[in-house]
Amino acid sequence: MSNQSASGSGEVAKPSSSKLSTAKTEIEFRVALIVLAIVALIPAIVSNPYWLGVMVVSMYFAILAGAWNLLAGYTGQFSLAPATFAMIGAYSTGLLGTYFGVPPLLGILAAILVAGLIGLVLGRIVLRLKGPYLALTTLSFAEILRLIASNSINITRGDLGLGVPGLFSSRIGWYYLFLGVLAVLLIALYALLRSKAGLFLQAIRDDEVAAARSGVDVVFWKSAAFALSAAASGFAGALYAHFAELVTPELGLIGQTGLIVSMTVIGGIGTLVGPIVGAFLVYVLSEWLRDVGGYQLVVFALLVIIFARFFRDGLWGIARFIMRRRRPA
Amino acid sequence: MNVALAVDLAVNGLITGLFYALMAIGLSLIFGILRIVNFAHGEFYMVGAYAYTLIALAVGLPVWISLPVAFLVGAAFGWTTERLLMRPLYAGYTSWGLMRDEYAVIVTFGLSLFLINLVDKVIGPYAYRGPTLVDVSRITLGPILISGHRLTAAIIAIVVIAITAALMKWSFWGKQIRAVAQNRLGASLAGIDTARASSIVFMLSGGLAAFAGALLSPVINASPDVGAFPAIKSYIIVVLGGMGSVPGSIIASLALGVIESFGAVYLSYDYRDAFGLGLLMLFLLFRPQGLFGEKGREV
Amino acid sequence: MSLLSVRGIVKRYGGLTAVDSVTFEVAPGELVGLIGPNGSGKTTLLNILSGHADPNAGEILLDGKSCHGLKPEQLAHRGVMRMFQLTRVFRRMNVVDNLLVAGRALGLGAAAATAQANALIEELRLGVVRDLDAGQLSGGQMKLLEFGLCFMVPPRVALLDEPFAAVHPTMKEIMGAFIRSRHESGQTFILVSHDMPVVVELCHRAICMNAGAVIADAPTRDVLSNTRVIEAYLGGHAA
Repeated sequence: MSNQSASGSGEVAKPSSSKLSTAKTEIEFRVALIVLAIVALIPAIVSNPYWLGVMVVSMYFAILAGAWNLLAGYTGQFSLAPATFAMIGAYSTGLLGTYFGVPPLLGILAAILVAGLIGLVLGRIVLRLKGPYLALTTLSFAEILRLIASNSINITRGDLGLGVPGLFSSRIGWYYLFLGVLAVLLIALYALLRSKAGLFLQAIRDDEVAAARSGVDVVFWKSAAFALSAAASGFAGALYAHFAELVTPELGLIGQTGLIVSMTVIGGIGTLVGPIVGAFLVYVLSEWLRDVGGYQLVVFALLVIIFARFFRDGLWGIARFIMRRRRPA
Repeated sequence: MNVALAVDLAVNGLITGLFYALMAIGLSLIFGILRIVNFAHGEFYMVGAYAYTLIALAVGLPVWISLPVAFLVGAAFGWTTERLLMRPLYAGYTSWGLMRDEYAVIVTFGLSLFLINLVDKVIGPYAYRGPTLVDVSRITLGPILISGHRLTAAIIAIVVIAITAALMKWSFWGKQIRAVAQNRLGASLAGIDTARASSIVFMLSGGLAAFAGALLSPVINASPDVGAFPAIKSYIIVVLGGMGSVPGSIIASLALGVIESFGAVYLSYDYRDAFGLGLLMLFLLFRPQGLFGEKGREV
Repeated sequence: MSLLSVRGIVKRYGGLTAVDSVTFEVAPGELVGLIGPNGSGKTTLLNILSGHADPNAGEILLDGKSCHGLKPEQLAHRGVMRMFQLTRVFRRMNVVDNLLVAGRALGLGAAAATAQANALIEELRLGVVRDLDAGQLSGGQMKLLEFGLCFMVPPRVALLDEPFAAVHPTMKEIMGAFIRSRHESGQTFILVSHDMPVVVELCHRAICMNAGAVIADAPTRDVLSNTRVIEAYLGGHAA
């Protein structure tokens, strides 16, 4: 295939960094499934409940990272409130259970709806905001909610935490529940991206004005991305609440958002597999190295800076680059 | 309303506002010049608090030397940040290409995490109490009771802010910076070294924030995440005052200080930090250009 | 019945009147040139027509129905398609996907959109770069792509804002042929351009603006020999 442009102006276009984007997404999907398959097999080798717990928390983060990736990586809306929606979901199921006796399953369902609804409202509110303005608004939203949760001691018991019933007696149950949810959400995201929604969201990310000109209902799709991302985060938060059997405002700390952002950026933002790989890598490593000296957070933060500066596609991008180099085509 | 109490609240609020202003001016300038928000701004504050405290306590230099050194340390951090991370933004070298705003958010967010965790590991998570400038603990000025340090710090802050404002208005570099803030391309076509201007602004921003951290360290002790709250306050102020407007930042800082001061007593002590956040959200939604900023055009 | 009715459109920015009571009608199938010196209000008028700016007074009727207060995406669905002066495409999506966005957004199904995209890529000679990200194309190729975006679904009226500005002659050829062939099939155009030879060649009718007002609206040759028009360009009554 000649690389000469049609005009004959002599300009040579660089080799494509993206094949047909559906093909790219398909490869990412397959690799992500393989990763999840490996994760599914791990309990056969590892039975230590501590490490199984670490894996569960990693999956919690993988869902949050994936949800944030949908909003930021695919739609271009860099919200700094992903952890907040997890917290909203956790408190939804916690408060409903504590004060209204709602059983956990219904509580989790309610959490998805509540988080999604609040996400929709927030999304509508911040429609016209871009870049730093969007980040600042979502940041203040995050902090206000965390303050409210922390200070409403009469209702939430503040930093002491709200007790929440568990679902399983063994870690294994939680392991496969989280894995199942993660897999389902991955498949749903893949389906979304392959549909026209995927086209519209990325168009909005690249150029909102051009998208509107082409007939894309920008208001609808931006709000939808916010709502879906928030709902998924709320889902994860509610599950985590029943896993940890405790809900505290710490779930919504900016530091948690920092982790989520780091995981996504390191793994590869705007890719299907990046957030998952990033979450496992960052969380498992940080637990593992915790005993060895604990500089892991420093290193991860440094990686975020370096990756943002030089490797937008994160580890996944590096992996793809190596794969392409090895193939002679 | 008790007049004496009101005066006390007002004066204290204004003094707090002075310290807020030290934080906000630099951030506002950065936005004016580069159109980005520096999410590591709080860490410049933190670095200043540590520099001042450690140099005075561990190295043993007198406070009147440690203070300017803290400023310089902050300025150095600011310069490095701009040189390594921000400069490429305008030269187009980053792998993010067109998504400039998002790059700035992520990179400065990462920088913030990096600095916080680095200090946490290298120096330790425990708070360090900075030495006071003056050892008089209680001074009575009419109805107001104030510590010697806070009064001294306030006076120093006024002087520094006044000098900064004067430099911005009348000095050669001040005018250049304002020209770049108005129109970067035009300024560079007119021969202004925009890279230099960005450098200076980041240095000033880092220095002022560090200075604030140093001045407040006897009260708000130096710890790894001590910069988070001041940072959020300065984001609020920069939006309220109008991104890029130094007078706007100063006025908004003083106003926020006073509002929080009265709000804490008459409305809610627990939520005193939420007033600013609530104001921020309202402004961002209905008047994003703040009180004194300019509205941008889209198409 | 006219396709597009522009009646008494006024647009002020502060103290400046950018568009001053502009009125004209465009019949189906017309290829109208919109000319005038810089600052005459052409782009502002186009912004109003495509929903990117709201007029202070006046009304616009498309197929007899008012376009008041409609957003760009709504106008796109009504059939008003705008090409920008500074090319706007989806830079991190490849050429095919760019076109698919436009097609799917305007109601085409996946298969129909793909077929149409392929046809346009063929016609605009973008075949060799179809898998590249739009951001990697040359300036001229990007313009052609934006062209394609505007015609995935044939619009009721196509508003082209200086499509030939700073474009390689070969691309001009391709674009010109495209416009001519669509015009022959009945497509309505409003073409803003400074390129007089092209305007003469393509447009049977020209509207000339100066300082926000329409100073001539007649067959192209008559407009170009109109003294007021010549003075406007040479600086006699310039804004």
